Amino acid sequence: MNRAVGGATFRRGLMRGMGVLALAVSLFGCAGSGSYVVLVPSPDGSVGKVIVRGDKGEQLLDRSGQAADLDGRTVRASVDPQRLDRDFGEAIAAKPPLPLHRLLYFSTGTTLTAESETLLQAIVQEVNLRRSAEVSIIGHTDTLYTTEYNEKLALKRAARVAELLKGLGLRANSIEVDSHGKRNLLIQTPDNTYEPRNRRVEVSIR
Amino acid sequence: MLKQFLVGLATLTAAGALLADAPIGYVKTVSGSATVTTADKVVKAEVGTPVFLGSVLQTGKSSSLGLTLKDETIMSFGSDTQLTVDEYLYAPAEGKLKLNSRLARGSLNYVSGVIAKLQPDAVTVKTPSGVIGVRGTQFLLKVDPE
Repeated sequence: MNRAVGGATFRRGLMRGMGVLALAVSLFGCAGSGSYVVLVPSPDGSVGKVIVRGDKGEQLLDRSGQAADLDGRTVRASVDPQRLDRDFGEAIAAKPPLPLHRLLYFSTGTTLTAESETLLQAIVQEVNLRRSAEVSIIGHTDTLYTTEYNEKLALKRAARVAELLKGLGLRANSIEVDSHGKRNLLIQTPDNTYEPRNRRVEVSIR
Repeated sequence: MLKQFLVGLATLTAAGALLADAPIGYVKTVSGSATVTTADKVVKAEVGTPVFLGSVLQTGKSSSLGLTLKDETIMSFGSDTQLTVDEYLYAPAEGKLKLNSRLARGSLNYVSGVIAKLQPDAVTVKTPSGVIGVRGTQFLLKVDPE
């Protein structure tokens, strides 16, 4: 008799436990749809924001690891790492290499500084290591002289860098050359100001 | 040399214009079977395959695909995924910036690029049950087939 009572109590306890578990799954497990979004830090370590708008509401995710159902109903602080691996392992493994940015500086005209000249070979290696790369080469100037003059000079700088990189054996899917003239200063200065740090070409590798 | 180069560039641009639009990005990684469909033309996805505005990216069973767009947005997909690029505008000098895509099913790892940095409300990913607004970050998105 005692054993029977004990059994009933055990079963009731078990059922209550399962009820709590089911509630926990429905609240935090997102078991229903299986459609959800998870915020993770950017490659540079910073954490941005994601906003989810659905039939059931709107949610803002701004902390690393937070997740929300796509209908906007619930937010939870984290998702089980094993589940993340199961759901996103393939997509994470397929992530392409991150883009790279390299700056080259000029002394006068289209002459690279001695230091920047030594970086060319390393850039070619970085590009050629990729299975398929697009390279964009954008020229800039400081604010000495006119807008027209600087548009042309910056394009000449970019074209010069493209020529040097190709001469060193650069292999790219596409090479884009462009000029920003004096429109996109790295160091802000008044007009007609000599500033060697603005005499540059930016090489972006994707 | 410069003149030659500029003529070459102009020719390239003209050729691009003939193809309706220039690529907005390229496939960078593939495993298994994956396709890029543009204007009803299905192309087997390989490293270096161009992606255009309106392209539909699809992966099959036990497959994956990764691509990088011009503005350095990076997307990669796991198995049984379908994503369409509905809107893409990347002309920072003219202030024209937009990137809207649609994940019909599957899994996505998204790293936002320059567009999200310059214009935070210009980037969205639609799903069958809700819309994701992207404010300069990385996120994971899964859409289960209903």
